[in-house]
Amino acid sequence: MVKVKASELRKKDQDQLKKQVEDLKTELSTLKVAKVAGGAPAKLAKIKVVRKSIATALTVIHEKKLTQVRLDSKGKKYQPLDVRGKKTRAIRRRLTKKQENKLVLRVLKRKQNFPQRRFAVAK
Amino acid sequence: MAGKPKPDAKKTSKVLKKGLHQRKHKKWTTVRFRRPETKVLSRKPKYARTSVAGKTRLDKFSTFLQPLATEKALKIIETFNTLVFLVDPHADKKQIKKYAEQLYNIKVTKVNTLIRPDGKKKAFIKISPEYEGVDIANKIGII
Repeated sequence: MVKVKASELRKKDQDQLKKQVEDLKTELSTLKVAKVAGGAPAKLAKIKVVRKSIATALTVIHEKKLTQVRLDSKGKKYQPLDVRGKKTRAIRRRLTKKQENKLVLRVLKRKQNFPQRRFAVAK
Repeated sequence: MAGKPKPDAKKTSKVLKKGLHQRKHKKWTTVRFRRPETKVLSRKPKYARTSVAGKTRLDKFSTFLQPLATEKALKIIETFNTLVFLVDPHADKKQIKKYAEQLYNIKVTKVNTLIRPDGKKKAFIKISPEYEGVDIANKIGII
């Protein structure tokens, strides 16, 4: 049996993918019965292929749902946690660039009005 | 002048002594103090914690692991019109009945289960007499 390719699965829509998963699962159950009833080695070898195909199909389904969620929540202040980016736990808890560089108004004004001057000696 | 209500002397004296807003003390009739019911707000999350709902772990395909085709199981199929399956240990009889009817197009009268010493669950699925156990087993592929 040829393994189902993810690139082909991505062309399908959600309902078709769900049906694909159901078909694969029914096939898997028949193969498992064949294993019990002493099936041909060809059938037994097929079990692994079918299991992996189910996994790829479910992955594609999840991927599609997540891309839709990403589109819906793009630009919004509060995004679902798995859309926000995993990075590392420490990085997620760091101050943002904006928060780090924030200055008190007094200091900000001082810096704006009295910037560090640079002089050069004319030749 | 006439028609103006006179302030009640008793009331004003009470207000002056105790203050304008007097809390009325509720009478406790029990010895214990139990927290009174307070307002409980329902959740209104600003964002979903998990954006995509995970798949259900026990669906109709994952309840049945494999049919049993041992000598004893085959005997049970013939004599009692009952299929014997190894089933997910978390599945309950109601689920097993429902999914067996869906998957194998049969009518189930009852389900008995036991948990084997090796931790697996065995389900004895009794089929209604209008179906032949042997035929169903053949169709599934057990025999």
